Amino acid sequence: MKTTWLGTALMGLIVGAMILVPFVWTGGEAANLVALILVWALFAIGFDLVFGTAGMLSFGHAALLGSGGYALAILTVAHGWGFMPALGMAALVGAAMAFGLSIFAVRVSGLFFSLLTLALAQMIYVLASTKLRGLTGGLDGIAGVPRPALFGIDLYDNDNFYVFIVVVFLIGLGLMALLRASPFGRSLRAVQANEVRAAQLGYNVQRLRQAAFVISGAYAGVAGSLLASLIFYISPQMLHWSVSGDVLIMTVLGGKGTLLGPVLGVAVFELLKEELSQYTQYWYGILGAVFIAATIFLPNGIAGLFAPRRDRDKGEGR
Amino acid sequence: MKRRQFLHTAGAAALATALPAPMLRAANAPEDFHIAAILAFSGAYGLIGKDMRLGAELAAAQRGGKVLGKTIRFSWEDDETKPQPAVQKATRLLSGGANMIFGAVGSASTLALQSLATQRKIPQLVTISADDVITKPGGSRYSFRTSNTLGMEVKMCMEFVKLSGLKRIYAVTADYQATRDGFEQFRTMAEAAGVEIVGNDYAPLGNRDYSVIIDKMANSDADGIIVVATGNDGVTFVKQAGQVGLGKDRTIFGPVLQDETFAAATGDAALGVYSGVRYHFSTDNPANKAFVEAYRAANNVYPSSFAGEAYDGLSWWFDVIESTDSWDVETWVDAFEDSVRENSIEGRKEMRACDHQATQVGLFGKVVRGEAPLPPLTMQITSVFPPEALFAAC
Amino acid sequence: MSILIIGLSLSFLLFLLAAGLTLIFGMLGVINFAHGALYMLGAYICYQVVTMTGSFWIGLLVAPLVVALLGALMEMTALRRVYDRDHIYQLLLTFGFILVIDELTKVIWGLDYKQVPTPALFAQPVELFGSMIPSYRLFVIGFGAAVSLALFLLLDRSKWGIVIRAASADADMAQALGIDVSRVRTAVFALGAGLAAIGGAVTAPLVPIELGMGFSIIIDCFIVVIIGGLGNIRGAILASLLIGMARAAGYTYATEWVELITFALLIGTLMFRPAGLFSVKGRTA
Repeated sequence: MKTTWLGTALMGLIVGAMILVPFVWTGGEAANLVALILVWALFAIGFDLVFGTAGMLSFGHAALLGSGGYALAILTVAHGWGFMPALGMAALVGAAMAFGLSIFAVRVSGLFFSLLTLALAQMIYVLASTKLRGLTGGLDGIAGVPRPALFGIDLYDNDNFYVFIVVVFLIGLGLMALLRASPFGRSLRAVQANEVRAAQLGYNVQRLRQAAFVISGAYAGVAGSLLASLIFYISPQMLHWSVSGDVLIMTVLGGKGTLLGPVLGVAVFELLKEELSQYTQYWYGILGAVFIAATIFLPNGIAGLFAPRRDRDKGEGR
Repeated sequence: MKRRQFLHTAGAAALATALPAPMLRAANAPEDFHIAAILAFSGAYGLIGKDMRLGAELAAAQRGGKVLGKTIRFSWEDDETKPQPAVQKATRLLSGGANMIFGAVGSASTLALQSLATQRKIPQLVTISADDVITKPGGSRYSFRTSNTLGMEVKMCMEFVKLSGLKRIYAVTADYQATRDGFEQFRTMAEAAGVEIVGNDYAPLGNRDYSVIIDKMANSDADGIIVVATGNDGVTFVKQAGQVGLGKDRTIFGPVLQDETFAAATGDAALGVYSGVRYHFSTDNPANKAFVEAYRAANNVYPSSFAGEAYDGLSWWFDVIESTDSWDVETWVDAFEDSVRENSIEGRKEMRACDHQATQVGLFGKVVRGEAPLPPLTMQITSVFPPEALFAAC
Repeated sequence: MSILIIGLSLSFLLFLLAAGLTLIFGMLGVINFAHGALYMLGAYICYQVVTMTGSFWIGLLVAPLVVALLGALMEMTALRRVYDRDHIYQLLLTFGFILVIDELTKVIWGLDYKQVPTPALFAQPVELFGSMIPSYRLFVIGFGAAVSLALFLLLDRSKWGIVIRAASADADMAQALGIDVSRVRTAVFALGAGLAAIGGAVTAPLVPIELGMGFSIIIDCFIVVIIGGLGNIRGAILASLLIGMARAAGYTYATEWVELITFALLIGTLMFRPAGLFSVKGRTA
């Protein structure tokens, strides 16, 4: 799907406004919520490279998010690593985990890929909950995941940590924008548009998909680390398949295959959840109904609202 | 205030995306006693949160809804029986200036909240989670537990084995750190007492089929079956064991295997099964009689162990901070550390300064048929063990 | 020997849980994530009927009918609108239904655990090969075998089956030949939903009935479907037997590895036969 220049600018404006909110209203509460949104958004942006751009529905992204989070938690808590090196390592671990999954997963395509990634990720969940409990703390998880210590600023203050998350988010967003515009991004879209034609044109389809999956893994790894550090805690819950489901919902809600759509999707999802759960005990069901309606009536997600011209050429998403 | 303005902006953003704008929330009144109550209202322990809330609200209502002259305000949050939402929601409430944390239900959530409480220097009151590591010597300064530990419940099981003269035990243990530790503790005590462990199977948490394990038990020469698992796992085991009549010539028991709630989910297969009981409405003392009466008047049912423990812990805590006449957290913590509750609804409880665990008697009982107004399946308390037998010195 | 009987009962229970998912996937190409929720609903309705009438058998009859009706409703109001879109949208819709069905169940039946007693006819254990076997387990084996046979006959041998397979293989062509494809789809989805409820009702006397029960079986169902070769009923039967027997052996010799044994089977299958162990060319019963 193609969003217009104006639409992209508008979406950028909304995201920008959201990022600025906690700077205006300090005190930690707003920062906490928007930080959560940005971390999930980072995860969703990476997810959408595989899903929206390369056209593979991964249902195993929880494994990538969780392994990144665990890498940071274990390295900092048990091995005394500094935060920044551990964060870098978490990106590598997320990418490595993605590579491991991809060895099995890129052999198949379509819905098979979804089910396979789902099952593999769930196996990792089971392992982390039971057999690897010496490393992961089992179902009790690891509490006391630290935050970085940078330039003597107290990042345990939510307002300060928020700035750190904004910086990481913007770097991640910028890199993804470059990546999507690069020849690599274009080839991925070519593969999605027509796998056979792309292969005949000389693209190594498997290799391209694998590369997208690995990059996505690095994003998930960083997001998982930031999430663990934001809430000072990690447990196998982060590896559970429902997390993969959540990121899928957010991405589709926002608009797959667009740069900023997933970010908006995350924001709307989290705000809906936050607000509905305050007002009604039935929030879960209402969320489901909203989601069903959005799937039927907003096929291109929220980003679709910013694209007045229906453009079926998926090769030029922006 | 800030939150409100933030939501305005967030609402505008949501409007721009054609979704219903979130409604605005009333601003916090600055002068109340705000409790971040993080309990499970859905998920595996959803039922427990509901009962704890009833008990907690009664504890507040009985003191006119006030402590230290300020209104007690609960923020009930559902952690969906998962640690991550628990921490997320607690973080938000603490940012908003909550005075204490009440919860959680599952031990994993409670441990996660504990590290948050320690880091934010906010008191945390635990009245249900039983994992032993929640209260350990040199643990968190800000966490207190007024309810049972799994360790003391396992000890009750051992005392029960000795009392009933069981000689050979087959065990099934949920594959989870706390229950694994519980089984190891039981094994050590059993060996010391000359009781043979003829088998043990670690079943996955959330296991839905025990038929093979039950078959192994039925073919063993065990005279006792210990189930170191709770909730769904315990109910499923007892239910399926009932289909082969395993309990006919073997005694089935466990640290937290049955109470009225679980028995209702198990059905008649629960009859004759023994279990540790955290609190029971039949306890004969004036405080408990008054509580049961008030609870039944308000809710028309007997209080469950979850409601009773929540009521008991919070009433105690409110009395202690009332007595300090201070809003200083450190003063509260110091006062609670040396507190003794002579007239708790479970009898005498004593908070230990060394590990913040309340010592108390332990109840053990079995499932029997109840006559109305009692539930159709109810616990009959068969043994009351003194604290000296259940708690090791720090 | 008793292990074989118990293994068989595990297998057929697994098959009953996964049959509806397999059918809907095989015939409609839709991964029904709400399968677990429909299964749970089947168990709750069975409980409700047992409470009102005292008969498990009426429950076993009513639950699938009610849930099949609900399935038809889901198909007609929502799923039908997205068949012409990417598969992902169908999957997403069923995902949304999980939340709605879970909420409805919570509103109707509350948080309390429910229980269905073992039907009196099968309440006493029987002695077989020196072990006491719950006779309800024997019922599960017989009932599971009957359902699998009925499904096989329906899809492979009946005129109905030909129509369904024609509509599944080439909807446009089938439409041109005078088959009302959209009614066929509704019927298939309803049948799949009904099968999910049968699974729930049959499981009801074995486990506590609670809100998380649907969540806990969905991965098992997916594994059966993958190993069986997506959407293939014969494959699903064989895969259920393989997993059920492996689990029975696992519970006997290495209980704490049972979960991982299942995943090992899955990975082994995918390494050597990525299209599923029992896949047959094209979709078939």
